[in-house]
Amino acid sequence: MAYYAEKNFFEDQQLIELVTNILSGNLTLEWYTAEGGRVRARPSDPRRGLTYEDCNLGPYGYDAIPEFVRNRYSMAARGSVLVSKLPDLGYTINRRSDVWSDNVVALYEEAKARRWAPAVDVPWAELTAGDSVREAAMAQLCTFLEEVALVAMEMPSKWVFSINQEFLELKSFLCAQMIDEARHVEAWRKRALTSGHGLGRASASAEQALKELLSAETYPEASLGTNLLLGSFVLAMCRAIAALAETRADRLLATLAMQDVARSVAYGVGHMRYHLAHQPGKAVALAEYLDRTEHVVLGIAGSPEFLEPVVILAAGSVDRDRLAAGSRFARRWYASALEEYFERAAAVGLPRRERSRLPRLDV
Amino acid sequence: MSYLSTTDFTEDQPFVDRFERMLRGDLDLSWLDAPRERVTCRPENARRGLTFRDLDVGSYGFTDMPELIRENRSFAPRGAAMPEGLPDLQAEVNRKSEVWAYNVEGYYEEAMTRQWNATTDIPWAELQSVELPEDIGKAYAQLLTFLTEVEMIATDVPAKWMGRLNADFFEVKNFIATQAMDEARHAEIFRKRALSTGWGLMRASAQNEFNLKFLRDADSFAEASLALHLQAEGMVLTLFRFSEYISPTEGDKKLFRLVMQDEARHVGYGMQHLKWVLDHFPERREAIHHHLDEAENFVFGGGYATEVLEPFIILSGKGLKKENIAEGVRITNAFQLKQADEYFERLAKCGLPERRERSRLWKMIDLRKQTMAA
Repeated sequence: MAYYAEKNFFEDQQLIELVTNILSGNLTLEWYTAEGGRVRARPSDPRRGLTYEDCNLGPYGYDAIPEFVRNRYSMAARGSVLVSKLPDLGYTINRRSDVWSDNVVALYEEAKARRWAPAVDVPWAELTAGDSVREAAMAQLCTFLEEVALVAMEMPSKWVFSINQEFLELKSFLCAQMIDEARHVEAWRKRALTSGHGLGRASASAEQALKELLSAETYPEASLGTNLLLGSFVLAMCRAIAALAETRADRLLATLAMQDVARSVAYGVGHMRYHLAHQPGKAVALAEYLDRTEHVVLGIAGSPEFLEPVVILAAGSVDRDRLAAGSRFARRWYASALEEYFERAAAVGLPRRERSRLPRLDV
Repeated sequence: MSYLSTTDFTEDQPFVDRFERMLRGDLDLSWLDAPRERVTCRPENARRGLTFRDLDVGSYGFTDMPELIRENRSFAPRGAAMPEGLPDLQAEVNRKSEVWAYNVEGYYEEAMTRQWNATTDIPWAELQSVELPEDIGKAYAQLLTFLTEVEMIATDVPAKWMGRLNADFFEVKNFIATQAMDEARHAEIFRKRALSTGWGLMRASAQNEFNLKFLRDADSFAEASLALHLQAEGMVLTLFRFSEYISPTEGDKKLFRLVMQDEARHVGYGMQHLKWVLDHFPERREAIHHHLDEAENFVFGGGYATEVLEPFIILSGKGLKKENIAEGVRITNAFQLKQADEYFERLAKCGLPERRERSRLWKMIDLRKQTMAA
């Protein structure tokens, strides 16, 4: 045990007297006069319900969070009246622009509104297992995506513990990311195991790359690497699966996953914008981070455990002529995923087109 | 700088060459030959859809998972072929009985299908039309302030452990992810309700924060789960049930019913985990008692949190007049005894019936019962 109570309360006569007194009807009412500020939050649009935006009021609102949170290290609810002796819970991320994004509140609300459950929302019974090379490719692709989702689930979980409780809406969004990715772990695994082929092969190159991303030293680096860089490519992967799907179940699975990943990418873009607007000096360090880390998407998107199944799914078979057509799809896929990433990076103030070492393709 | 991949892929010429060959349709297809167990999983019950239990087959399943995970230290999905070169993710928890729970896969599936939305599932507009009297309004706002304060601990603590668990325990990790979301939703709904009462948030609670710190700083996942899922959330579950009973409006009763179903799941995991630990790792029994000794010390110290006890009395008695307080004390006494009884009963059901004898908390509760009876 790392933390003990300051005393043995069972032997604390003062405590026993206090509780006995209260339970005899003599209330202290010390808290009764404490007021953090009288407000009344109301739904601005009753059809949408009561959103966090409706609660953005005075000292309680997220607009009131200062850039540096200096005097709140406990879990006291933002805006509540602080008392003496609140313990320090050990948060190490206390700067608003290290985590915040202007769209994070809306994205959290969207995440809840667009929840889905893989067990029941995908028409699994419509899928037919088979010996086809197509199903084998799908099993391999889903094995790969399960691997990626496991890492994407861990990234927010790794940081949420260290982020100051004042950033409640942001922490809540990270929780939404965790459940989104848990859903993806589940959905891709289930799809692989309905194929009749079992799981495929894990990818050493992708895992090396993912471990590098997961090991980012700061939250802004982790968010840039996972939400914006990796997210851009995973979003494109989901889009490719939806485009190549031959069944309603696969198309639905990919599009549902896509809408979750799109939220992470939107947060990644919004977060970087906010971060660099408030800490412009960090642009140099983050560009250097991308210089040394961007190569990981080649280890992921260029891994045979991902790219070869995509070529086969696009080709529909392993015939040489068909593979040529499949490879053209894969080339276009990579080129457009890369382009989208460059556009997002430029939009947040990190132009990569000239600087990136990622391979370019003629399509 | 932290971990760097064993190769820079853009400078790894054989890797880049292979990438380009694949994009010309020249495939190696060695993954097709990877040894694998060929299975076809299908929904056993079409109405339930395809569940994790339907996937509990051979090397892919959780039933045959060994007690000690010796081989997989990477993110390779359980049962997948593992090539050379997979990294070591440095998982710290690699023993099944330190994390597993009977029916964890069921709790996960239930969590996914029972997600709800604090923004739209509460009749907020209806709640606006009810004006609470000052004593009830303030007491309720104070109780909600306390609940807002404590809920996110049950996100932070399991999330802290998620990355430390071996990836083979992905059902547990997935359950943790659902719990994180559940708790975010609870913090949200209590905050929103406090801010819609017209009184805003009230006073933070130092005594409760000490307890939160204790939960955050547990040395092992098993200890964290014991104190969080079983003890803390178990007591909060009883609190929710009584809060539903004393809620000032129908909308508030619905609020507590929704959070209760999530909380019951977390307590269920905690109980089934403890049961699993005692069945499969019995040598931990003594460590569990030691951890509970301190956890119960914090619970007893919770008596200093007048900002929880007193609002509860006022809400139970429906006011501040003498007769209201007397009624409130009567209900609060019943609540506290019920809370303690349920806690010890849960422990007994998990296989720890001797806890009552060992516990100082139980002795204090017993004493109080005798005093009340006299």
